[in-house]
Amino acid sequence: MKKNDYYLIIGILLLTGIVVLASNLILRNNSGSAAVAVVTIDGKEYGRFPLDKDVTERIELSDGVYNVISIHDGICEIKEASCRDQICVHHMNVQYDGQTIVCLPNKLVVTIVNSDEDDIDGATH
Amino acid sequence: MKHFKLISVIIILALIAIIIGVQYGGRSKAGIKDDSDAVLNKYTVNFLDVFDTSTDITGFTTSQEEFDKEASVIKEQLTYYNNLYDIYNDYDGIDNIKTINDNAGNEPVKVNSDIIDMLQFGKEMYTLTDGKVNIAMGSVLKIWHEYREEGLNNPEAASVPPLSDLQEAAKHCDINKLIIDKENGTVYLDDADMSLDVGSIAKGYAVQRVLEYCKTKGMDNILFSVGGNIAGLGTRADGENFKIAIQNPDLESANPYIEKVEIADGQCVVSSGDYQRFYEVDGKRYCHIINPDTLFPAESFAGVSVITDDSAKADALSTALFNMTIEEGQAFVEKLDNVEAMWVYHDGTKEYSKNFKDSIIE
Repeated sequence: MKKNDYYLIIGILLLTGIVVLASNLILRNNSGSAAVAVVTIDGKEYGRFPLDKDVTERIELSDGVYNVISIHDGICEIKEASCRDQICVHHMNVQYDGQTIVCLPNKLVVTIVNSDEDDIDGATH
Repeated sequence: MKHFKLISVIIILALIAIIIGVQYGGRSKAGIKDDSDAVLNKYTVNFLDVFDTSTDITGFTTSQEEFDKEASVIKEQLTYYNNLYDIYNDYDGIDNIKTINDNAGNEPVKVNSDIIDMLQFGKEMYTLTDGKVNIAMGSVLKIWHEYREEGLNNPEAASVPPLSDLQEAAKHCDINKLIIDKENGTVYLDDADMSLDVGSIAKGYAVQRVLEYCKTKGMDNILFSVGGNIAGLGTRADGENFKIAIQNPDLESANPYIEKVEIADGQCVVSSGDYQRFYEVDGKRYCHIINPDTLFPAESFAGVSVITDDSAKADALSTALFNMTIEEGQAFVEKLDNVEAMWVYHDGTKEYSKNFKDSIIE
């Protein structure tokens, strides 16, 4: 083997390594950490909350009508709500792509976007 | 030396192939290739406009635009059936179930054949379930509805309807007085105090009809989730069965799902339970499913799930099973083809029909 062969081998390995690293970084920036909880009220977007930033927000819909959403440890949940059935408060935490929490009386929907896929396509209520 | 060179080149090529393979494999998670090699992405939309519940449509298409187009067709269709089968609201230019109820004991109402077919199906379900599903029980359900609304709006004053009121109303639940005239396209309730409540079948019936409509329009790989009714058109885009989680009736539990099942093309899952629509009186839970025999909410189970090949049937059967004892239910399911069921008790224990476990994953 000639000296140049070694250079070629090292060169190819380095190049491959760089491509792998770069595309991994781009991929990570496009999904994973960019997961967002999108809150809509009666179909209109109210706000977007990144799942990597802990926050608790009280969403006032009108006089005395509210939902409190909380984001912590990469998950989103509804902590409190003025609705009478409290289904949204009892709803499981959401974190996977396409998962939703719905408060039917308040017409508020939390949808997770840009997140990892769950192995589940749908759930009965 | 020559061998060494060749082996080195092969090893390096192999390494590169592996690295690229891993990269590509990771990336293609987001999109799935179908037969024509187009990359299909998964999209979901949620809306709250139909059947007084939350609807999720999941589809696999090449673009957001294509999915939006399919979703809007589905929403339009569901809204059409929602308006026809509504018992509480009037709609301009539509004679619906409420119109029929408003004319009870008065005169036959000319209605769309989609109403006639659904009511005919309701009669079939009455016969099949030996009266455990009765769409002519509106008079009794109306009383429970009023007490539940009252109890939810003012929990301190929540109360249970007097049995005498329920028994009086139950005298006006004769399904034979639901008179369907197919020839003239009319429906008549031959008892002024009678009314229809199609809540136990209408949603499932509508989902089945919309699913069949979408099929004729060439749509594929779509999962419908309308409240507790889940039905698949085709499979996932990668040919895998749709995977469905069945919610744990115990909402306080650390496990949000009590079971995960998969449904093949054309199958559906429906759950009936006492954990979402209910009200409480003195700490006791009264759910929205009323047993036609006792005129009180069924109490044996926290939830019943049915897997079968028709969403309309699944809806009716899950209600029927909720109103039966486990022995009656097991015997009932045993008699039917392509129907499997799971019963969940309040303590979290489960019972399965003979082949339900074939659908369970993990």
